[in-house]
Amino acid sequence: MNNPLVQPDPGLAIWTIITFLVLLGLLTKFAWRPLLRALEARRETIRKAMEDAQQAKLELEQLNKRSTEIIRNAHAEAETILSKSRDDADRFREEMKEKAREDAEAIVREARRRIETDTVRALRQIRNEVADLSFEIASKLLQRNLSKQDNEELVESVLKQIEAERPASLPS
Amino acid sequence: MMWFTAAVQAHGAAAAHAASEKEGFNAGETIIHHIANSAEHPLIPLPEIFGIDFSVTKHVFMLWLVALLVFVVVTWMVRRHLKQGPVPSTAGSGLETVVEFVRDSIVAPNVGSKWVDTWTPLILTFFAFIFTANLIGLIPIFEVVRLMNHWVVGADSSTFLGRLLEGGTTATANFNVTAGLAIVTFLAIIVAGTRAHGFLQHWKNLVPSGLAWPIYVLLIPIELLSMFVKPFALTMRLAANMTGGHIAILAVLSLVFLFAEMARTAIAGIAVGLVISIPLAVGISALECIVVLVQAYVFTLLSAVFIGMAIHVHH
Repeated sequence: MNNPLVQPDPGLAIWTIITFLVLLGLLTKFAWRPLLRALEARRETIRKAMEDAQQAKLELEQLNKRSTEIIRNAHAEAETILSKSRDDADRFREEMKEKAREDAEAIVREARRRIETDTVRALRQIRNEVADLSFEIASKLLQRNLSKQDNEELVESVLKQIEAERPASLPS
Repeated sequence: MMWFTAAVQAHGAAAAHAASEKEGFNAGETIIHHIANSAEHPLIPLPEIFGIDFSVTKHVFMLWLVALLVFVVVTWMVRRHLKQGPVPSTAGSGLETVVEFVRDSIVAPNVGSKWVDTWTPLILTFFAFIFTANLIGLIPIFEVVRLMNHWVVGADSSTFLGRLLEGGTTATANFNVTAGLAIVTFLAIIVAGTRAHGFLQHWKNLVPSGLAWPIYVLLIPIELLSMFVKPFALTMRLAANMTGGHIAILAVLSLVFLFAEMARTAIAGIAVGLVISIPLAVGISALECIVVLVQAYVFTLLSAVFIGMAIHVHH
């Protein structure tokens, strides 16, 4: 056993064990335990954070679903309101048209009625005036007693006179 | 290049020794001198206790240095990381990745979720300590320190400073160190089994129950042997892997001096060094970069597997 490569040296082996055990104790206390604890704590934190994120995601999904529903309802409602107001407007327009036509008809009817009464009145007036004129002519004929030619001329002149006066005497 | 200078210096020491005996360059002696624990020149000589020499040697000093470095760096990183708050920085993420890899990919599958918090610190410390020790052995900073001492400080090896500046070593390349680490695993296996099943049941678990007695006659010695073979395998695997790379690099670099001596001119040595030794040494160093990580991982993983076997008994 003179080969220095394999010379037993228990002192060195014991020094190795002592050195290693001291290092083991110190590192365990000051490095490994705190580090492993921190790793474990962080893993826990990450796990919790991920669970929270999952929860938040679910909540967000539900909120999204709800808001989608609300928006869809609002659209439907708006559609209803719009169609209803369109119907209302149509009906209102129809009513207005109807009313306008009725008004117009009433006006026309009124106008006709007034034309008729005016015409009746005018005819009556004319008739009265003709009677008056006839009376006048007859009286004049009787007063002057003229020839047949003269009579005709007279009648003619009276008629012309009536013709000339007539538009003025007619009611508007 | 630093290995190169280190080897030159080592050669200088060997040559001075050889000159007095009128001998040539002895590659084997140089390599052994470089790798072995310098028990004959301890940093702090201590008296023997029960026949065991507890002197603080180069290897013990390296163990302390590694332990100090690991403790300071890891604690500082963890402190900074914890102050950072919930969002980790780049360095913090790297730290977390390593710790979580060890916990979730090495410890948890072997010892189970019930015991993962108990054994993760041990496995993490194994990984950090062995990896750092391996890595420091790979960085030839101590050879530079040694050269600085040789040229600038000039402290003699009879003084503490001189011995301190004599150079570093790969602590895990010494099988006494790896044996110490394996003993920790050995004890951890017993503690794990005892805590999981009780003291007696742990020992009963070594062999499957309900077999005919002649089988036990065979099985009990085999299982007892296997109990010791496990840490022994850990010891030898790590030490041999760490030593092997260094010997390979030193052997390749020794070619420089062997050829210089054979041709009786330094130019031959330099030519061999530039063409063969340095490219090869660089290649082996690159390989060693992977080996230091893989061996730290293997030791760690197997320790977790052995501890897990004591907890989950499958027969």
